[in-house]
Amino acid sequence: MLELFSDFTLRNVAMGAALLGISSGVLGSFALLREQSLLGDTLSHAALPGVCLGFLIAGGRNLLPILLGALVTGALAALFVLLLTRRSRLKNDAALGIALSLFFAVGTVLLTYIGNQNNAGQAGLDAFLFGQAASILPADVAVMAVITALSLALVLGFWKEFKLLSFDPGFAGSLGLPTLLLDIIMTVMIALAIVIGLQLVGVVLMAAMVIAPAAAARQWTRRLGAMVTLAAVFGALSGVVGAVISALATGLATGPVIVLCASVFVIVSLLFAPERGLLWAALRSVRQRRELHSHQVLIDLYQLADAHGNPQYPSEAGMMNLYYGTDARRALRKLASKGYLVKTEHMREEGPHWVLTDAGYERARELLGEMGLAA
Amino acid sequence: MSTDPDTSRQSNTQQPNTRQSGAATNSHEPELALHIEDLTVSYHSKPVLWDIDLDVPPGVLAAIVGPNGAGKSTLIKTVLGLIRPAAGHIYIHGKTYREQRRKVGYVPQRSSVDWDFPTTALDVVTMGLYGQIGWLRRPGRRERARAEKALEQVGMDAFAERQISQLSGGQQQRVFLARALVQDADVYFMDEPMAGVDATTERTIIDLLKTLRSRGKTVIVVHHDLQTVASYFDWMVLLNVRVIAQGRVDAVYTAENLRRTYGGQIALLETPTTDAVAEEEQPDGPEQEVEGARAL
Repeated sequence: MLELFSDFTLRNVAMGAALLGISSGVLGSFALLREQSLLGDTLSHAALPGVCLGFLIAGGRNLLPILLGALVTGALAALFVLLLTRRSRLKNDAALGIALSLFFAVGTVLLTYIGNQNNAGQAGLDAFLFGQAASILPADVAVMAVITALSLALVLGFWKEFKLLSFDPGFAGSLGLPTLLLDIIMTVMIALAIVIGLQLVGVVLMAAMVIAPAAAARQWTRRLGAMVTLAAVFGALSGVVGAVISALATGLATGPVIVLCASVFVIVSLLFAPERGLLWAALRSVRQRRELHSHQVLIDLYQLADAHGNPQYPSEAGMMNLYYGTDARRALRKLASKGYLVKTEHMREEGPHWVLTDAGYERARELLGEMGLAA
Repeated sequence: MSTDPDTSRQSNTQQPNTRQSGAATNSHEPELALHIEDLTVSYHSKPVLWDIDLDVPPGVLAAIVGPNGAGKSTLIKTVLGLIRPAAGHIYIHGKTYREQRRKVGYVPQRSSVDWDFPTTALDVVTMGLYGQIGWLRRPGRRERARAEKALEQVGMDAFAERQISQLSGGQQQRVFLARALVQDADVYFMDEPMAGVDATTERTIIDLLKTLRSRGKTVIVVHHDLQTVASYFDWMVLLNVRVIAQGRVDAVYTAENLRRTYGGQIALLETPTTDAVAEEEQPDGPEQEVEGARAL
């Protein structure tokens, strides 16, 4: 009996989390590319007063009025940001920050007000702060499915318009696309994605679900379509894994666990994604620095030889070290392995000396030519 | 300097600085590629453009020149309906922009977009056709072919599938140009297409602009390089919140006009203008007279 119940809960939770991951991943991709990730944060925090108002108006923990309330206050916050940036001289980030703290403060006040009323259903509202997987009902999953399907349909239907709006809104406007309307549709859809995630992830961390899967996906691909698909997959995976972990281990708030899962995707992607991965970039930079150093050594040997009028001029390794203030041995050995240098025993007591080979001499001239310093 | 062979072709199309335009006829000047009346644009109660009257005849390469903050980009954006003016009327071949949208191509400033956007050169060029494809439809093979042809025209066909972040600044600019070409417009507006590009790209661009002109197109370009204005363009608008002067380059490009546009900010101007233009035009008469003298 108990096992059946937990299976049933798990299935609900997994489906809900997957839907949440898909919609927030898809819409988050556009938010990320439009440099509007912080809008997600503001919208989700601004959902809290709506959650409380929905609860107060419906007189209990009824999902639909709560989600509608969240959507309304989220939209109000977005409008507020728009007004602040258009009418005042505040920049977008300041406007977002003001809206976030104002709406969240109102929400917190309402939440404590409801708490002081000693309402029996109040326990359920706390779940909207950090999310609670176990509170998901089949009806909730159905609502999430409808909203996810709607946003996917909109994104597919207006794919090229959203793409152009995200890449070059000015050009989109010059073509006569209704940029303001598209902007509003996009913002409302992000608000919807956030609203359906509230129960699972909570208002505090929901923004991460908008940003993280998209940011991770961005690392792996050069195509918008692939990025959006991948973000949906990452979002769904982190949602399912996180929700299931939190559902199995009692006492873990769902939101933070899901967000930790999404963060793993981000960190792995940032480090290891081909081309854009930080690890590969670091390796490339080390390789380039070494190559530059060895070119420098080769050219200096060439110029020494040139200055002495003797292509076979032997340069002392110790002197090279002294000259660069670092160990030139690695560069010298590498040049030797390429056949540009040979080691000679010029004066035994002074240690090894290096002499340019014909190939090395030619290579140095080549390098100088490439740099526009042809001898 | 101003030995552009094509300028002579323009000599009797339009007298420069015919500011009385619109007074004679009350039509919206369909014979002018661009006709602006009394345009004022302000930002937070500060005027960015003040009482602009501006005419550009068809078939010219026109440069909009002025110092930083002169409102050059604002002018273009207002013409394209991206900024709402406080007052004024704008006509393209006699009709409003909304009616003429299909006949207008636009090259925004290269720095106005994020080039790290996940897309390819060909895809960006295809965006030029999004206005023609219609809602709920995706670009197909025909659009792709047109985009490829436009890329070829700017010498970028080899880079069609290249991620745009991997292109050099000049190559990115050429992609933007190809996107405007694919619009197949009559009037092109370009915002600093030659800013920060390599010499090869600058040559490609100017050749392309001249090709467009030879096909009867009008190209209106925000240009920042005073040294090259006279050799690249045949029409010129000097702008600094107001229109300081407009007309054929050889008439407008005078030391006096440049001083009035740039104020004291220009030491570099003295060199190029004095030998080429100012020498014969030193008596600084009204432009009309200078124009007459030149025509002889």
